[in-house]
Amino acid sequence: MEAALLIENLSFRYRSRQELALKDIQLTVAKGEILLIAGASGCGKTTLARCINGLIPRSYKGELSGKIQLCGIDIAKLPLAKISQMVGTVLQDPERQILGTRVISEVAFGLENLGLPREEILAAANQALEHLGISDLRDRETFNLSGGEKQKVALAGVLAMKPNLLLLDEPLASLDPASAQETLSIVRRLADEGMTVLMVEHRIEDVLKIAPDRVLYLQRGEIRYLGRLEDLYHSINYHEVKLPAPMIVQLAKQEAKPQIFVSSLPSPEASDTPPLVSFHQVGFFYDEDKPVLKEVNLDIRRGDIIAVLGANGAGKTTLVKHAIGLLKPKSGRVLVNGRDTHTQSVAQIAQILGYVFQSPSHMLFAPTVEEELAFGPRNLQHSEEQIRKEVTEAIQIVHLSGMEKNPPLALSFGQQKRVSIAAVLAMRSRILVMDEPTAGQDYQNYMSFMHAILQMPGFEAIIFITHDVDLAVIFANRVLLMDQGQIVADDSPANVLQDFDRLRACRVIPTSLLDLNLQHYPRTRRLMSAEALAHVL
Amino acid sequence: MLVTWRYRKRRSLIQSFDPRAWLIFYATFIASTLLFWDMRYQAIFLAMALIVVFTSGIRWREMYRAWLFIGGFIVFFSFLTFLTGRGGIELYREEHLIARFAAPFSILGWQPVLRITAEKTAYAMAMLARVFSLASMTILLPYSLNPAHYGVTFRGLGLPDKVAYGMDLTMRFIPTFGRDFNLTLDAQRARGYEIEKISGGLIAQIRKLAPLIVPVTIHAIAGSEDIIDAMDLRAFGVGPRTWLEELKYRRRDYALIGFGVLILLLSISFSLFGMGKFWVPGFLL
Repeated sequence: MEAALLIENLSFRYRSRQELALKDIQLTVAKGEILLIAGASGCGKTTLARCINGLIPRSYKGELSGKIQLCGIDIAKLPLAKISQMVGTVLQDPERQILGTRVISEVAFGLENLGLPREEILAAANQALEHLGISDLRDRETFNLSGGEKQKVALAGVLAMKPNLLLLDEPLASLDPASAQETLSIVRRLADEGMTVLMVEHRIEDVLKIAPDRVLYLQRGEIRYLGRLEDLYHSINYHEVKLPAPMIVQLAKQEAKPQIFVSSLPSPEASDTPPLVSFHQVGFFYDEDKPVLKEVNLDIRRGDIIAVLGANGAGKTTLVKHAIGLLKPKSGRVLVNGRDTHTQSVAQIAQILGYVFQSPSHMLFAPTVEEELAFGPRNLQHSEEQIRKEVTEAIQIVHLSGMEKNPPLALSFGQQKRVSIAAVLAMRSRILVMDEPTAGQDYQNYMSFMHAILQMPGFEAIIFITHDVDLAVIFANRVLLMDQGQIVADDSPANVLQDFDRLRACRVIPTSLLDLNLQHYPRTRRLMSAEALAHVL
Repeated sequence: MLVTWRYRKRRSLIQSFDPRAWLIFYATFIASTLLFWDMRYQAIFLAMALIVVFTSGIRWREMYRAWLFIGGFIVFFSFLTFLTGRGGIELYREEHLIARFAAPFSILGWQPVLRITAEKTAYAMAMLARVFSLASMTILLPYSLNPAHYGVTFRGLGLPDKVAYGMDLTMRFIPTFGRDFNLTLDAQRARGYEIEKISGGLIAQIRKLAPLIVPVTIHAIAGSEDIIDAMDLRAFGVGPRTWLEELKYRRRDYALIGFGVLILLLSISFSLFGMGKFWVPGFLL
């Protein structure tokens, strides 16, 4: 049978780089196969995807050698428009892919470009929407959709062009767990119907649910492993990608016992001590008829390590933006250090509360990493000597030593994210707030800097928003569960995370690590990482 | 991702027409307004613009920011024109003094004097009316044109596919830029940056704006690269494209275009006959 994709001796070097991004790749993918492409950041996953969808060498220039065939046709001489009819690409962030103002115009975009008759376009677009079960979104405005809806609309736009091969580049990265599951089950169904699927993803655990036929594991641009998923675990470093917890437990048992994670924050204080931040009956809205926060009551105390969980659009970011005074409540009040945020400027609050934004590209501007990190402390009028010390320490914590003089804007997304975290760490605020700190990071990196941040002296409380339930399991001592602008649970991780029904109602999906922890909870009496569990069980 | 202006479907005069017809009328209105300096003529145009504003169905709450910003700008510059008479010199040769204020001090032997003349006053009033009618008609566009129709509207006005889609993206780029600017401002404020406290000379002030300007610019560039990739990946520009949205002229649209063209022709004729030139009301002289 003819292969859906055939790659022979493929190598590529970006014009601006010295080293090869891909080295001598050989790959054959059969029709109807799901191939998972995994590996750490910078391993060449995205470069391989760009070679297959034709963006390399057409949009990204460099030296390309080797051969790529799609359904027996060599793509080297094909125009991008032709390739795009054979390979449907869904990018990591649907925000970066959606062009249409309304769902129907987005789904029809590719077909319009092919100049098909209007009736044919409408029929194909409607069929794609129906196929993904999102016909009800047809006339909605795209920028008002939730993250999960956007991802499905982007997928519908690609499917409407009836490609032979679907290429998904980290499609789960910006989705809440429930939306990620929905996307995965759609992908599985498409493969069952005969679609060939290539999925780039480093969170292997999440992709297991679609039972990929094979895994391609890349390391430094080379194929390290190509074969069945079951045998992957023996060939790779389990710290590099997120594997299912029972698997890690097995592998970690053969290694030395890891140090039990202990944060350097003070022990949590009793509820009668004055809180650092306090929300009283806080309500907020942009449009009066659509409240974003509803009667939120919350006290953040010394020693709290709070994980905020909930679906996209549940109000998590709005909640923390109130704590730093970027948003002021429409009803109720927020007190930081005993003072109403209405009476303090954001700069004043920033001395107490450091806030790491979700997207690093909205804040990086300085010519060097060092200067970027000094910006915050300088605004807070720290002394030059103090700033030097703060900058050096922050750089070490996020593993960017040696890059002090590099321009932040020339770094990879993962590195930029770490610069943005370091920029706030250097301000030495008493409370650290992080919005999705691990988004766009590879597993090994984020686990390591989360450990380092929590062990960094000086913080009195840490709050992080995340879609990754495992971060709450491993690092938090308190979990807030949000749904539709309200805090529906606020308790210890074990208490909040054991109520699976409530979690699912809030679109949070239990993970294998949580499962395993809860199974052994009567014995362990605390939640912990799989590596730690391996040595306790 | 590109966001759009705050368009809503409303029952209004402006939205009862085809967007192409409205843009043609808008162009004829602007061109006609620019032909006159007589404030009586300008008053007619201003009245027309205000009728469109008051029938637009857009609530004051929705558009007051735009009005305050643009209105403030216009009033400030008209006042400056009134004080200096700058720009009006070509329109009148002699001036009739109404009042003269001399400063009670002198700077290096030069004593500032404010001369209020009939011509300066009339010129500032004409200017105010003229720019206000242009601004009124322009402010309404983003609230009243359906973003889903931007591309097909420009295509329908005769622009090629690629240019029409480019115009569509440009129209949506402006509010997107505004959103990114606000996000960046928030991110930097959270790092203790206070735009209100920027001081120093012009160059120093611009340098201190770098934390805002650099991320917003880089974001805009990166965003446009994403857009190009996304378009390439879905066969944009390979040949003539079909536009899913369809616009159809109705009788009222032809009437509006005819009305616009009539106004423009009349305006051109009037100005050729020397009517509508700069005029000073008698009571000022």
